[in-house]
Amino acid sequence: MSNHHDLEELTTHCIRCGFCLESCPTFKITGAEPESPRGRIYLVRGALEGKLPWQEIQEPLDHCLGCRACETACPSGVEYGAILELARERLGSKPATKALLTGLTNPGLAKIQFTLGRMLPGKRMPAALSRLIAGSPAEADLPRPQPTIPWPELDESKLPPVTGQVALVLGCVMRVLYDPVHTATKRLLRRVGLETVEIAAPCCGALHAHAGMLDEARTRAQQMAAAIPPGIPIVLNSAGCGSTMREYGFLDPGLSGIANRVRDLSEILLEHGMVEALREAQGFGGKRITYHDACHLAHGQKVTQPPRELLKAIPGAEFVEIDEADTCCGSAGIYNVVQPQMARALLERKWGHIAASGASLVSTGNPGCLAWIEQKSRETGQQIAVEHTAITLERAWG
Amino acid sequence: MPTTDRLRDGLAREIGAERILSGPSVERTYESDAYNVDRSQPTVVVLPESTDEVAKVVRWCRREGIPFTARGAGTGLSGGAMPALGGVVISTKKLNRILEIDLPNRRMRAQAGVTNIALSKAVAAHGLHFAPDPSSQTVATLGGNIAENSGGPHTLKYGVTAPHILGLTLIDAEGEILELERGFGPDWIGMVVGSEGTLGVVTEAWVRLTPVPEHVETALACFGTVREASECVSAIISRGVLPAALEMMDRNILMALRAAFGLEFPDATQAMLLVECDGPREACRQEIEAVEQAFRDFGAITQQRARDAAERAKLWTARKKGVGAMGRLAPSVVTHDGVIPRSKLPEMLDAVYEIAARYQIGVANLFHAGDGNLHPCFYFDDRDPRQVEAVVAAGTEVIQKCIELGGSVTGEHGIGVEKLDLMGLMFSPGDLAYQARLKEIFGTNELCNPCKVLPNQRGCQEHRLRWRGVAT
Ligand SMILES: Cc1cc2nc3c(=O)[nH]c(=O)nc-3n(C[C@H](O)[C@H](O)[C@H](O)COP(=O)(O)OP(=O)(O)OC[C@H]3O[C@@H](n4cnc5c(N)ncnc54)[C@H](O)[C@@H]3O)c2cc1C
Ligand code: SF4
Ligand code: SF4
Repeated sequence: MSNHHDLEELTTHCIRCGFCLESCPTFKITGAEPESPRGRIYLVRGALEGKLPWQEIQEPLDHCLGCRACETACPSGVEYGAILELARERLGSKPATKALLTGLTNPGLAKIQFTLGRMLPGKRMPAALSRLIAGSPAEADLPRPQPTIPWPELDESKLPPVTGQVALVLGCVMRVLYDPVHTATKRLLRRVGLETVEIAAPCCGALHAHAGMLDEARTRAQQMAAAIPPGIPIVLNSAGCGSTMREYGFLDPGLSGIANRVRDLSEILLEHGMVEALREAQGFGGKRITYHDACHLAHGQKVTQPPRELLKAIPGAEFVEIDEADTCCGSAGIYNVVQPQMARALLERKWGHIAASGASLVSTGNPGCLAWIEQKSRETGQQIAVEHTAITLERAWG
Repeated sequence: MPTTDRLRDGLAREIGAERILSGPSVERTYESDAYNVDRSQPTVVVLPESTDEVAKVVRWCRREGIPFTARGAGTGLSGGAMPALGGVVISTKKLNRILEIDLPNRRMRAQAGVTNIALSKAVAAHGLHFAPDPSSQTVATLGGNIAENSGGPHTLKYGVTAPHILGLTLIDAEGEILELERGFGPDWIGMVVGSEGTLGVVTEAWVRLTPVPEHVETALACFGTVREASECVSAIISRGVLPAALEMMDRNILMALRAAFGLEFPDATQAMLLVECDGPREACRQEIEAVEQAFRDFGAITQQRARDAAERAKLWTARKKGVGAMGRLAPSVVTHDGVIPRSKLPEMLDAVYEIAARYQIGVANLFHAGDGNLHPCFYFDDRDPRQVEAVVAAGTEVIQKCIELGGSVTGEHGIGVEKLDLMGLMFSPGDLAYQARLKEIFGTNELCNPCKVLPNQRGCQEHRLRWRGVAT
């Protein structure tokens, strides 16, 4: 138990003004107050004060995406993410969720599971397993690793001199499913004169923290911190990991120093002149592109402009905004596995906005969103490409 | 059969089980609105999707003798959406569609659960908007705005909600569907707007669309004394400027905003004025210059003008999030609402500070200075019954002072349950009886949002202690 955080104290900052209601995806879909941030905080407070039993608030908390859009909307500075993690810790996680997380966040194990999964008939998670975890049939296809992209060698003569180093956290899910994103990331960093040191520590602890498994998260955070060389910026291309690492101080105050060095890839690229570098790229003559805000980038890290500025700088690309760009797509870590129906409703809503924009490409900065939105793209005949921002940017060079 | 099951099953037969919520988590989350002092739990909550479904629910409640209370976003500040006698909460959150946009006649028909901001967004591309702009506009609903006759910073120039409502669909307390229009005869719409959900449930409305002004200028100034700022406000208006908005924030609000958003202001500041002018470009520029002259004449310590839309938005964010920012100071905030003659502001504020000090509770003040609508916000810990009592008593004294200075009990937040006891300060028993008679025109009964607005309703007195959480 993280005794340096007082859950009750955190809940009292909510004055129940309701300003967060319309930012909350689950409230927008259901219209029900227990499915709203104000409702959930008041329920946690009620359970703490003994006004209602903890098990009565399990379901509303299980339904929460942890997207933290409510934090962006809240004028009182309520730390909802912390409230959720601490309340989930109090509730304890279900054994099946634990097993799922152990598999997902161990790169070796994950690879075996994803491979096994694809050998099963159909592509979804086996019904028995899904019912065990979610109590209803699966919606999410088993994720499949993205095929490698045969980029040409970088032409050193056209690159700026190397002026610094950054540490790139490879992560667990990202490394297995989206290795090409790491390749693109390294190439982009090199294009602005940065050399990459890869950090292979297995997992940052984000998925555990979101599920309220704070002790497990803390151990992973400490291992991660030990693997990172001192002094240089730490770059993440996975929003969920970046958001947790920026808040390592919450798990262990001793890790605040590491936390302060964490940056999203888009921020580093923007600061180091990627907009100027893109002028030399051949670009996408006439293509209409858009951007989906990963929750843990927009709300968890308050990074919304840098990726947009980079995408807008691609020669020939026409950048358009979608409606509700910063509303959760339903992927939310392991949410689409444990809450399939709500996740599906949110995906349909997101896809409606993407399709209405007329874009033929949507970029985003988180592996969970990518896998989930890609699935919808496959279901609708792959008319619209779904890519990590790093891939989109690197492809601007052809 | 236990009451919850009886209500759930009965209503499920009317509108389907999937529209009905019940259970401990539902009871708790619907027990109050943004007024945290009084609480009372519903038995069930329904989420109807059409006018017909609302009518079915109301008729069923009427037949079965079950009280019902409409609720939008639950941002009300006087306990209006609290189900005082339990029963059914009728949420409008699934009545959230815009039905018709009639550009030539500059009007739009929407369901009651649509948020205020969504109304404006729907017609923004046509250079139009829904003018009433309560600070809660990103979430507060059309139905709530109508029920409370809400105002906002721009009320000074554009008026409260009432003049912007052109037609209504009301399910009256008997369950009849009434289509009310503006026209000859009694002003039915005027009676429903501001009636706090006591005459029935509004399911749809025709709203007026107002052109977005061609040009906007926003300026801000800090003053070393409240008196100088107040005199400056009077001067601006007496010099013939009619700003679109004229807002004052006291030092305590500014301190909360500094803590929350890093708002910057000189340390000597006691009051800040935010003034917005709009209209044709040239007229607007002249107006804002006149305002800035007034700032100088009354000794502003600093002043600044928003150079672009982004800067304007920043100035407004601070103002609109002022109350919310106080959540950083204490677990609860009660935002009071009274009206005073503008010239009495310095005296009034001194009284507010004195009252708060005497009851040992924190207070900060927001003031729609242009129309004399004062919002003293008390911050306190609602888990402590003594503090709750202190806040209620202090609030009563504040309102008494407003009336003493020639003002009134509420500007825009309504009576709800919060100010029931204060009605007697403003109205004679004869007036109150007349208002009760008015309700009967709509076939009203004791089931439709009971115990609100009018004091001394049957069956309500004995519940007061329970609401107030001092009799748990
Ligand atoms: C931080 C903050 C700032 C605010 N700023 C302002 C402001 O600047 N100006 C202002 O005027 N108010 C303000 N308010 C008060 C509040 O937001 C308004 O009164 C708003 O109009 C209420 O809308 P709602 O949808 O939340 O209604 P609710 O709180 O849900 O309900 C309010 C009342 O309306 C009734 N009602 C709701 N829907 C219907 C319906 N369809 N038919 C019949 N009755 C109905 C309810 O029974 C209740 O009596 C503020 C509130 C907060 C918390
Ligand atoms: S979380 Fe913030 S925005 Fe939501 S009700 Fe509480 S104080 Fe208001
Ligand atoms: S984290 Fe997201 S889903 Fe959860 S309460 Fe906040 S806005 Fe709603």
